[in-house]
Amino acid sequence: MGQQRSLLEQLPGDLMMWVLIASELLVFGAGMIAFLAVRIGDPAGFAQGSAHLHLVAAGINTMLLVTSGLFAALAVQAAKRNAIAVTRRLLAGAALLGLGFIGVKAVEYQSLGAAGVGIETHPFFTFYFLLTGFHAAHVAAGTVILALAGRWPSPRNVETGAAFWHMVDLVWVLLFPVIYLLP
Amino acid sequence: MRALRSPLMLAWAALVLLSTVSTLLAVQPGRVAGVAVLLAGATKGRIILTRYLGLADAPDWRHGFDLVLALLILLLGGLYLAG
Repeated sequence: MGQQRSLLEQLPGDLMMWVLIASELLVFGAGMIAFLAVRIGDPAGFAQGSAHLHLVAAGINTMLLVTSGLFAALAVQAAKRNAIAVTRRLLAGAALLGLGFIGVKAVEYQSLGAAGVGIETHPFFTFYFLLTGFHAAHVAAGTVILALAGRWPSPRNVETGAAFWHMVDLVWVLLFPVIYLLP
Repeated sequence: MRALRSPLMLAWAALVLLSTVSTLLAVQPGRVAGVAVLLAGATKGRIILTRYLGLADAPDWRHGFDLVLALLILLLGGLYLAG
């Protein structure tokens, strides 16, 4: 019979990265809770705001992020096999998809701006721009982290960089339904 | 063919499917659709935690994050239904 692993031994990757993941989940969770709490006071206004959003663009962004997450997870496996070239290609693919996400987000913002919608238009849009903008900043940071992991692709670096990227993905799959999809 | 059925590939396929389904649900009127959208989001979050982040092999941590995710979705669902 094998020895049971301790709590710390069970945890994949770096403990401090998991502390970051948990704290980001709590911060964005608090933002989503606040969004829905404020919505109680003006459901019609929030519904009107939601109608301005680009569901297709957000759907495309979801596909980009979950696919980039797959590439990052595969990169971790490749790094552990010491397949450096494959690791770098997968990280590059993940980062490119991340840049695609930022590009689509920029088009969304520009389109809203052209329609005269800004951060002060309505509380719905205050939350929308703050939450999705803060998330997009994490995506941008994440692409830099993936690039660094690609430059120095030790299994530890790749696993830690990929964990940050999966955190960005995790937040989005929760943010996307709350902001864009709730009828 | 075996590679396509690896846990990671299956996880990705589930994420794509759930994202498509929840986007289709979003155009349905009514709160049941809204609750289903939130549950789909929570399921996707769990898939990312277990398969992409590797908590499938860390049951104690997985249970902890399951609890946090469940509490968050319960709170979000309650606020959504109160609106």
